[in-house]
Amino acid sequence: MNDIDRILRDDARIVLPDEGFAARVMATLPARPRTKPWLHSALVFGSALLGCVLAVAFAPAGASLLQGFADLAQLQARTPGALLAIAFCGALLASAVVLAIESD
Amino acid sequence: MPAPAASPSDAQLILAVLEREDRRAFGLLVERHQSQVRTVLRRLTKGDVALADDLAQETFVLAWRNLRKFRFEAKFSTWLYRIAFNTWQSEARKKHEVLLDVDEDAPPPGLEMTTQMPDVVARVDLERAMEILSDGERAAITACFYADLSHEEAAEALGMPLGTVKTHILRARAKLKARLEKGKP
Repeated sequence: MNDIDRILRDDARIVLPDEGFAARVMATLPARPRTKPWLHSALVFGSALLGCVLAVAFAPAGASLLQGFADLAQLQARTPGALLAIAFCGALLASAVVLAIESD
Repeated sequence: MPAPAASPSDAQLILAVLEREDRRAFGLLVERHQSQVRTVLRRLTKGDVALADDLAQETFVLAWRNLRKFRFEAKFSTWLYRIAFNTWQSEARKKHEVLLDVDEDAPPPGLEMTTQMPDVVARVDLERAMEILSDGERAAITACFYADLSHEEAAEALGMPLGTVKTHILRARAKLKARLEKGKP
């Protein structure tokens, strides 16, 4: 290490007395934003669920969710009910992926 | 007589803040890091103590607000220095354009540090010597020597290419050496 490096490092090691600095900082700290950890998750999941409910409510006549799952079980994916079931599961899956990424 | 409890680590204090909103824990973090953060900012502001302390205060307030974003992969002090550098750059931009690029007109360093410097150099001499450095040179020297960041960390913290940081360090050393030797009796 050359002398310039040593001089700089020696200077960096000098400890400044607090002189009330920490107290001044603490006096100006704002309230921390109080975010409940479950609230964000509940909002994402609730929005997805609401979307699903609206989709079911406004689905064309004859498109029942249960019928859709039954159609899917019989490998019939092009019926209105099956499309509704796929959209329902897709919305829930998307919200789960969003939550998983954000909680990482 | 029971042994005194070991002082909590930075990580423990940060967790106390995050989990319990523990202001006292944050106060301990401020007390622990205030000297280094203020020193770094004093060097960056060319010894303007009042401005440096204002920026240091802003740095800790920003750290308090954004503590949830702290990832425990890096040292807390490194994270704090990054905030301090950003705060300084924002402040400096308000006053003038901060030039962190290499000054092509400056003479190349080309000087090897073989000459022995005096053992005791008054801090005021060093502060004055630091004033002749460009913004970029001073930032690079402060990041690597005062904030103890590696060249790579300094490049990331300052938002400049690694090669530029190395060039700044070389030139700054040469300028400081020349300046301090000139002041020798």
